[in-house]
Amino acid sequence: MSRTIRRLHVVLNYFCIIAIIVFFAIGKLYGWSNQIFIVMGLIVVVGLFSFITLYIKTKIWKLVHTKIDKLDEREIQLTHESLRLSYSIFTVVSLLVLLVFAVTVKEYDSLLMIIFVSLLYLAHTLPAAIIAWKQKEF
Amino acid sequence: MKNRKLYNRITVLREENNFSRKELAKEIGVNFQTVGYLEREEYNPSLDLAFRISEVFKLPIEMIFSTEPMKPLSQELLEYRKKMGE
Repeated sequence: MSRTIRRLHVVLNYFCIIAIIVFFAIGKLYGWSNQIFIVMGLIVVVGLFSFITLYIKTKIWKLVHTKIDKLDEREIQLTHESLRLSYSIFTVVSLLVLLVFAVTVKEYDSLLMIIFVSLLYLAHTLPAAIIAWKQKEF
Repeated sequence: MKNRKLYNRITVLREENNFSRKELAKEIGVNFQTVGYLEREEYNPSLDLAFRISEVFKLPIEMIFSTEPMKPLSQELLEYRKKMGE
């Protein structure tokens, strides 16, 4: 898979997460309807499709989650670099999200839970996303 | 510190020895994608990996890797032999 396609899938995958948060917030604010459930269901399907295409089919997920003694020196270097970058990106994104949430949201409800779950998803997928984004070959 | 680019003859030597990338990767104990990165000179191997490659091709390390663009192997071999007094 070319780097451009991988990058598109990275964007699509995180866009799905943001869309889920947005539709969840809309549902909370204006009431749940069948349309919202259908749209959220479609977003989950698209998100799963991009996840499988981007991480599973390219074996990037396996690379990031393999024990270090099973990797060669280039792969160890690659995963260390992606983890180092992930840590920085995740910290900045988390701080920004929590700051925006603290300023704008008056009541802490289930939306907070969705945001926490999304941040956990981000933390878990970010190293693989960085490899997918940066590497020439996969 | 930014690493210097290392040039190598892995592609030529692999083809001369009739190895596929997967076969060479198995011999030197890395993923076959890493062989691709080495051949395109996009990854500098560790000293250990460089020694493993030189052992597989039965050549000195300096015949396989260089910090300068590499001359044809025949020319290099002649110069090496002259240097060794053969």
